[in-house]
Formats: sequence, C-alpha cells, structure tokens
Amino acid sequence: MDGNSALGLALARPESMAERNDAEWAAMLGAARETSLQGTLWHSARAAGVLDRLCEPVAAHLEGAAMVAQRRAEALHWELEGLDRGLLTRMQPPVLLKGAAYALAGLPNAPGRMANDIDLLFPRAQVERAEALLFFEGWTGAHHNAYDQRYYREWMHELPPLTHRQRGTTLDLHHNILPETFRVRTDPERLREHSVALPGPWRFRMLAPAHMVLHAIVHLFSETDWDRGLRDLYDIHMLAGHFAEREGEAFWQAFVAEAQALELAWLAQRALWLSRRVLLTPVPNAVIQGLEQARTGRPISPWARWAFRHGIRTRAASVTPWRDATARGLLFLRGHWLKMPPGLLARHLFYKAFLAEKEDDGDVRPEPERHG
Amino acid sequence: MRVSELGHAGLRRRLSADGLLLATGPFVTRIRSRIPSVAEGINSLYPDCEVHNADSFYDFDCELRPPRSLRRFYRPQVVFLSDQRVVFKPLPRHQAYPMLEWGMNWCIASHVQNRLVLHAAALERNGRALILPAPPGSGKSTLCAALASHGWRLMTDESVLVALDTAEISGPARPISLKNASINVIRDFCSEANVNTPVHDTLKGTVAHMRPPRDAVERARQRAPPAWVVFPRFRPGADTRLIDRAPGEAFMGLVANAFNYAALGGRAFHAIGDLVDRTRAFDFTYSRLDEAMATFEALADGRQ
Repeated sequence: MDGNSALGLALARPESMAERNDAEWAAMLGAARETSLQGTLWHSARAAGVLDRLCEPVAAHLEGAAMVAQRRAEALHWELEGLDRGLLTRMQPPVLLKGAAYALAGLPNAPGRMANDIDLLFPRAQVERAEALLFFEGWTGAHHNAYDQRYYREWMHELPPLTHRQRGTTLDLHHNILPETFRVRTDPERLREHSVALPGPWRFRMLAPAHMVLHAIVHLFSETDWDRGLRDLYDIHMLAGHFAEREGEAFWQAFVAEAQALELAWLAQRALWLSRRVLLTPVPNAVIQGLEQARTGRPISPWARWAFRHGIRTRAASVTPWRDATARGLLFLRGHWLKMPPGLLARHLFYKAFLAEKEDDGDVRPEPERHG
Repeated sequence: MRVSELGHAGLRRRLSADGLLLATGPFVTRIRSRIPSVAEGINSLYPDCEVHNADSFYDFDCELRPPRSLRRFYRPQVVFLSDQRVVFKPLPRHQAYPMLEWGMNWCIASHVQNRLVLHAAALERNGRALILPAPPGSGKSTLCAALASHGWRLMTDESVLVALDTAEISGPARPISLKNASINVIRDFCSEANVNTPVHDTLKGTVAHMRPPRDAVERARQRAPPAWVVFPRFRPGADTRLIDRAPGEAFMGLVANAFNYAALGGRAFHAIGDLVDRTRAFDFTYSRLDEAMATFEALADGRQ
C-alpha cells in the first residue's frame, strides 16, 4: 500500500496501523510529517490499543510529535488565558475558531494536533476595536504596505494577521469565515447568534456543531493551498463523526439546514464526498441527497473529483507526482477563482506578480551551513 | 551488509534506483542521487556502515539532484530534498557531497522530536560521555576529530541525542566535518585519519570530512551516561586552559545549543537540568592539540 493510502486508512481505521509493514511505515511517516499528523497518529494508535504493536522507531517518531504537540497546546492554552482575562473583557466575548476551540472544547481531533495560531471572530463593526485593544497587550501587525492593508481590510474576512511582539504567536481577527469578495456570502451574524459558550471559566464562545463543521469545510474547500489538506479533511471527518454520534439525526438535519442557510451546500457536498472517499466518513445518504437538492447544491464535476482526489495527497508519499502536482495547480486556480470576481482577481494577480515586493524566502529555506 | 561490501557499482545502482538505506547509529536514511560525487563520498566515508534492504524502515528520506530550472544547462547546480521537498537554496554541483552531510544533519535537527537534540559533538571513554557543545567556528570539530583518533569513541560530531527520561547520550557516529586549516591540522596530527577530497569555495570555505573510526561505527548504538560538558574555544596561540563553569551557565550554554529546546518545553528543561546535575562542566581554551589531548586524558582518568 502506498504511503498516502496507508495514512488515509490509519486515520479512518487506527487499528489498521498494526498491519503496516516497515516500508509502508517509512512512506506513511513522511506523509504524516508533511501534514503535521504524526502526533494525531500517536494518539489514535494509543486509543485503538495498537501502540505496542508499532515498531520501535515508528513509535518513537510518533511519540516525539505528540510531545511537541502537547507543548504547543500548553503554550496556546496559556496564551488564551491571557487573552480571555485581558483587555478583550471590555468587549462582548469573541467566538474562538479552529484549533484553539477544538483544544478548549476537548474535541476528539484535538489530541496531537499542531495548533499554530489563534483565530477570533468578532462582529464586523467591532473587529477594529479589538485590534486597537490588543495593541496594548503587545499584538501588532506585520503587513504595513498600503496594498496589503487594503487587501485584508476591504476584501478579506479578517484583518491583517497580528503577531505578539515578544512571543511571536500569530492571532487572526475575523469578522466572517469567507472573504467579502468570495463567490457566495455567508451571514456572520448567524454564526455568532448560534454560537455556544465554552466550558467555564472561559469567556470565549465557539461555533455551534453544524457551523463548526461547515467552517472546517470552508477552510479547506475555499483554499488555494492544499499543502496540509489532509489535516483539514481529518478535522471535518472527526468533527462530523463526533457530533453525529453525540447528537444523532439532529446534527445532520441541522448541518443540511445550515449549509443551505449559509449558501454553502455545494462546498459541503464536495467535502463530504472527499471525506467519505479518503477517510471513510460515515455520512447518511439522506444528507448527501439533502445537499444535492438544496438551492445552493451543485453536481460535482468529474474533473473536480479528480483534482480533489489527487490534490489531497502528500508530496512525500506520492506515487503519481505529476498528476498530484497538476491537481494542486488546478486547486490553486480554483481557490482564486472562487475568492474574487474575475476583474479583481486579474488586478490582484497582476499586483502580486509585478508590483509586490518579493517576499524574502531566506527564513523559509534555512542555510545549509548552519548544519555542518 | 556493509557499504564496502556493495562495491562502487552496487552503491551507485542503489543510489540511482530505489535508494540506499544507510544505517548510522539509531537512524536509517534513504539516500537517492545520480550525482557521481555523492556515491564517491559515501563510498569513502561510510564503508563500515550497515546497508538495509529496500523494504526496511527508514527515518529520513533524502535526495540530491539538479534543480528543474533552465539554469542547470549553463551553471550546474544541486538541490537537497527531504520528503520530496527542496530544503535549502541550490548550491553549485561540485558541493553535492557536503550538501548531503548538511542535509542529513538538518533531518536530525528538524525531525527528531522524542529526544533532546544538541548542536554538539560527543565522545565516550570508559563508558562515560563527553559533550562538546559549541557554535560553528569554535574548533569543536577539530577537537572532536583529534579525540576520536586518541582513545575516545566518536559518538557524533554534530548532533548529540539526549534521552529525555535518563539523560543518556547517543549519536549517529557519522563523518566529522573539517573546515579550512583544520583539514591539514588533522591530517598531520592523526596519522590514521581518513579524510576525503576537500571541496573548495563552499559557504564555509574549504570543507572535507573525516571517516568515523570503524569501532565507533560498530558501537554507534551504545548509549553512555553523560560525565562532562566542555565548551571548547580555539584561539590561535592561546594557552591550554580548562576552567570550571558554574551549573547555571552550563545550563544556559546547553539551551543555546539545543535545536528543540522550545519545541519540547518542560521536558527539555528537565532533561538539561538532569544533564547538568550529572556532569562536570568546563570552559576549555586551546590552540595546541597535543596539550588538549593530555588535558582530556587527565579528565577521563579523574586527574582534573
């Protein structure tokens, strides 16, 4: 079995990890490293009771990743405590999105997950006040040029990312879950209205189950960059499975209704199709039909299926590198196509290609002599 | 099977097909490359290392190949890939071999998470480990190469692995990197040292590698408890001086040379704490290798 299939199966059925041979593990480990899923594998192997059936170096790599993820989660927790008790208490509690919410709510995709930044959702009219308050706690923006400011403030669903001056943590202030210029417009008020309180003593809120899964879907299926796509797909898979188990039929009914209300039925169709295919997510057929028949439902074209299927694969374990790269290219174009109307897109790409200052990739590619 | 048993042709065949699975201490690296200097380097520096079969496990995946750009037609270059992804900026083709060594070091520094990884050399004597942490340019590798040829077992020149629970030391026992003047210093000082053909004009000047002694390669999986942490500093013309370093300063010196201290947080803090508790720490200034050898001899015998 190739590394990508093995990783998909390991995420779908953790007990399958006990059946992998050494060569399959080597390929799978590269794939898991690329998608930051090694820590997740360690936790799911432990939960499935197969940890002691993994060979020693594999278990060591997975355990190391789980330790690093745990440390990251501790740091995130500490950062969130500061935010929750600081100047933001002068405002209505924000909705915590993504990794931070998964961690604080103790959702099953959180253990071993490498959370990178903090995402907060405020009402459009208050998001800049939050930015101003956070300045006094050391959070500042890194994007100073006029084009980047306009790009974020006018066209995107979030402000330019903030970084903590001393600790380097990244904080994104959102007022919606999709860009203002995106193909469809979701109603952020609906997300905030249905949001639920996190367990005390946290002031933060989090999205309602159906919205949380839809946000995970939006995050991957509106994306231009599918580099860690499998991690995002795993979030969708685990969250949907968890809520369906906890709330039964009611969850899926709410999911279809909310997908419709937020104009996202078409994205949900694509996400559930891929999640079923790669991670064997149990999705009732009625849900698939409900989304198809929704006003915003749309059939999935064969080329899109092909692109999703190949684009979700990692480079490290690719057995069809040219096809996968083509698919990633198509998804990149698709993401941009959805993100902005054609005129604005042409303008944006022209700016990025010819006028923008080239980003220094010196940090991205470490100098080899540091390792000699 | 060992690298030397493969023969040059066999080695090149593996490197250009599914890859050579090279075992160095606790790690297995899969290496692929059609570049002749890579095969030559491995042939001369890793003869005693075990080679694993193609269907075995490997920890790291490395490839060296020309970049896929038009530039390759008029200026030959090489890129290093780990997990199919380009890691460093391209280098001129003649530097392919040192780039492999740097890339393998990068793999350990970036991918090993279940142990504390120090940017340091380590050697063992009488079952006790000596750690030499130091930034580049401090003469660490020269000292390490000299010690490895004078009764100390080489554990590593570059990546010290510290077990988080026991603080035991291990390393991959890979070739020692020598730069500029130290290449000839080691050739003169260690008559039995095998140093490969130097590569000129790299980012660090002229670079060569010394083959790890056979005994060090064969015993590379043996861990040792830490006994000494010595921060070396080469200064031309300086007298040989070994001065105690306070535990707090030894701790901070180790933190500064740890690749994954922040990533491991509390675990790394306690591992370094354990290391400092179990060792004597020194600052060592030197310019003459024979005196340095005598100092470490005395240290090993408990006369220091």
